[in-house]
Amino acid sequence: MSESRGIVITGAGAVCGAGLGVDAIWGAIINGRSAISEIRSWDASRWPARMAAEVTGVDNRTLVEDRKLHKLISRTDLFGLYAAGVAIQNSGILSHRETLAEDAVAPFNDLCGVFAGSGGGNYRSNYDFFPLLTAAGGDIRRFGAELGENVNPMWLLKILPNNVVCHVGIRHNFKGTNACITNQCVGGAMAVAEAAAAVRSGEADRAVAVGHDCPLEPETVFHYDRLGLMSHDTLKPFDGTRQGTIFGEGAASVMLETRRDAERRHARVLGEFLGSGCTTEATGVLNIRSDGDGLSRAIQLALADASISPADVGMVVAHGNGTPASDASEARALTSVFGSDIPPVTGFKWAYGHLIAASGMLDLVVTLKALETNIVPGIATLNELDPGLGLLPVSRMPQPPRSNIALVLCRGFGGMNVALLVRANRGSTAP
Amino acid sequence: MTARRRVAVTGVGLVTPVGNDAPTTWANLQVGRSGVAGIRNFDATGFSTRIGAEIKDFSAETVIEDRKLLKFASRSHCFAMAAGEEALRDAGIRPQPGNEHRWGFAVGAGMMGVAFNELEAVHEHCVHDEEFNPNGLLDPQFPADPVAFCRSQTNAGLALLTRHFGTQGYATAVHTACASGGQAIGTALKVMRRGQADYVLAGGYDSMLNPLGLSAFCLLGALSTDNDTPERASRPFDASRNGFVLGEGAGFLVLEDWDAARKRGAHIYAELAGDGNSLSSYRITDSHPSGDGPIQAMHQALASAGMTPDDVDYINAHGTSTLMNDRSECAAIRALLGTQVGRVPVSSTKSCMGHLIAAAGAVEAAVCALAIRDGIAPVSANHVQADPDCDVNLVRGESKKMRLRGVLSNSLGFGGSNSSLAFRHPEEVPTS
Repeated sequence: MSESRGIVITGAGAVCGAGLGVDAIWGAIINGRSAISEIRSWDASRWPARMAAEVTGVDNRTLVEDRKLHKLISRTDLFGLYAAGVAIQNSGILSHRETLAEDAVAPFNDLCGVFAGSGGGNYRSNYDFFPLLTAAGGDIRRFGAELGENVNPMWLLKILPNNVVCHVGIRHNFKGTNACITNQCVGGAMAVAEAAAAVRSGEADRAVAVGHDCPLEPETVFHYDRLGLMSHDTLKPFDGTRQGTIFGEGAASVMLETRRDAERRHARVLGEFLGSGCTTEATGVLNIRSDGDGLSRAIQLALADASISPADVGMVVAHGNGTPASDASEARALTSVFGSDIPPVTGFKWAYGHLIAASGMLDLVVTLKALETNIVPGIATLNELDPGLGLLPVSRMPQPPRSNIALVLCRGFGGMNVALLVRANRGSTAP
Repeated sequence: MTARRRVAVTGVGLVTPVGNDAPTTWANLQVGRSGVAGIRNFDATGFSTRIGAEIKDFSAETVIEDRKLLKFASRSHCFAMAAGEEALRDAGIRPQPGNEHRWGFAVGAGMMGVAFNELEAVHEHCVHDEEFNPNGLLDPQFPADPVAFCRSQTNAGLALLTRHFGTQGYATAVHTACASGGQAIGTALKVMRRGQADYVLAGGYDSMLNPLGLSAFCLLGALSTDNDTPERASRPFDASRNGFVLGEGAGFLVLEDWDAARKRGAHIYAELAGDGNSLSSYRITDSHPSGDGPIQAMHQALASAGMTPDDVDYINAHGTSTLMNDRSECAAIRALLGTQVGRVPVSSTKSCMGHLIAAAGAVEAAVCALAIRDGIAPVSANHVQADPDCDVNLVRGESKKMRLRGVLSNSLGFGGSNSSLAFRHPEEVPTS
């Protein structure tokens, strides 16, 4: 990879059930504290699947100060705007922009990209139509005629999947290349891959990437459970007794730019983005291959993109969503790539649940802390490794990484697989 | 930087309000035939807008034999599978064992997954005395439908499409409202230039012609209410325009490495030469009157294509027929073309097809490929009264027969995402 267009991460932000801010979330993980508990946002006491990692005790105004905006966007957008705002702010890019000559500001803004992985539509927003459905009493003519009296005229804005892209642009005057990726679980991971590609190719000089989602609503929990995907107690990646996944909610974000620009303005570098790979197994919405084929191909593509070999990888942050099929095929993919020499493996969803479109991005942000501190955190809910998974090097206890490069994996509906490679900033840890 | 990889358009597929395949659609667009009529998908007679651009007499079963897969497909997914199938047949290639990993997929997909009857069922079981009680879902009588749930997932369409066509490489779904289809094709171009795929099936699909979708736009006051003259309702750039007409459908392109396409003797419609992509960052509901945002997107598309305004012979405008979009877009086109604004014909094929939302940019990209092949700038229908704020060289009255060396296709999304794609006539591509 050409050094001149090397991509570094200069800002990060996150919110999830495990905490507000990257440091709080990292503290929870390193101390083995899981945010998963009984659902509080509705009375789920009769529900077989009633566990979640909810964001509690965080005021909407802490997330987005502009109260007028709260009525126009959804909860997932509040999370996304918060995380992206923190990543942008922490990167120092805004104060740097203030130092530019007046005529340099517009060209600067035109080269600021915005990439979001968004959960897309939610069920809750459609419930705004319930009063109208009641009033119409099943009469579609009345439904049409009484629409204006029962539903907010700006309703469409609330369901736009691309709200975070729009409002990050408006709030920070970012006007460059952009994308809103609605590829279910892998949206956030693909957003960072696309943002990095845009900076690498020069379409943007810098870009913010954000993943945000809020799958925690009754209909989603209900259907996932009916499909056998939910755990009814804890999320235990790779454990022999694992039953399924548990939802979380929130967002995470990183700011990416070239190493050259970051060094020129003396920015604090949190890590280096090395490469990505993306595949599908073409198996339909729910099915995945048992041999981990799509995931191992994604890892190989990421290694090739980063021009490194499997032996260079120092730790693996697995998707580890806790479902029997996904974890088993993930272990197989790791074996097929690394053979008997798999680096220490961990996963974080036991602490903050599965954030669907935000999951890969949140895992990435936490991985940066793992690289910075040179610790592969343990999986606190792991009792006994599934004997069917070979000698997967997972542990309840922290492990030392074997280099300063981490592989982050993300998988989703549609047989989607994304692999990301990041390295600790030069000099921060010995390779 | 090394020379950019060239990407050929070798197949097109369309399911639109003016035809259930590409040849029919293109023939109707050339004569300016409207696909707008009273809504038949459901009883819309109570709504302020009762007209739409619907797909007519479409049967997915005639195109897709896999009945089990169709069960998982929504209305717009069916359009997508049909358009994708037509594009592959047209190109004469499809993913094969051995190259399926080199096939990518990029789609612009709709924002709505939940069908109206599913919302009605939740209302019936969970809402009592105006209170929503989630425990109603646990009611044994509740018609829980896992297939409907799968259909509603944001990437359900992409999952079905990759499975049906067997592409196993890069796969993405994007949504930036009305820019989605254009951005999907732009993403495909980038993916190919980065070497992540050698072939991409790229396009978009949408159908918001259901009670919730129609409601959303009626509430915003964005739709034309010319219920008595549906065929005239979509009149982009006309001084009397009063909103867009909601449409549905799908469009797909087969994108292929240029040299590989030449080698196998494929018919090449055009080079997909450039992608421009910007954010207006102005207001969530408004476009900037100066055209700021779309201007950058068009400039980038040309730069990415190695073209200048001199090389542009036709612009397929976003042209929704809303007061604000058309004015802002014309300002952008004027800013781009400068003194050449009188030379370059501009039209909006939404005048016939209505606005296909997430599918619009993809459908119009396919139209641009056909326009280059036949040397025809399609008519902007229904233009009668000039608007001084829309002073561009509109293709009025009838389509214009002319060689098109370079073409731009604009898609400007609600919320400020702008996409512009640049296409080049295959004979204008320098031989290496």
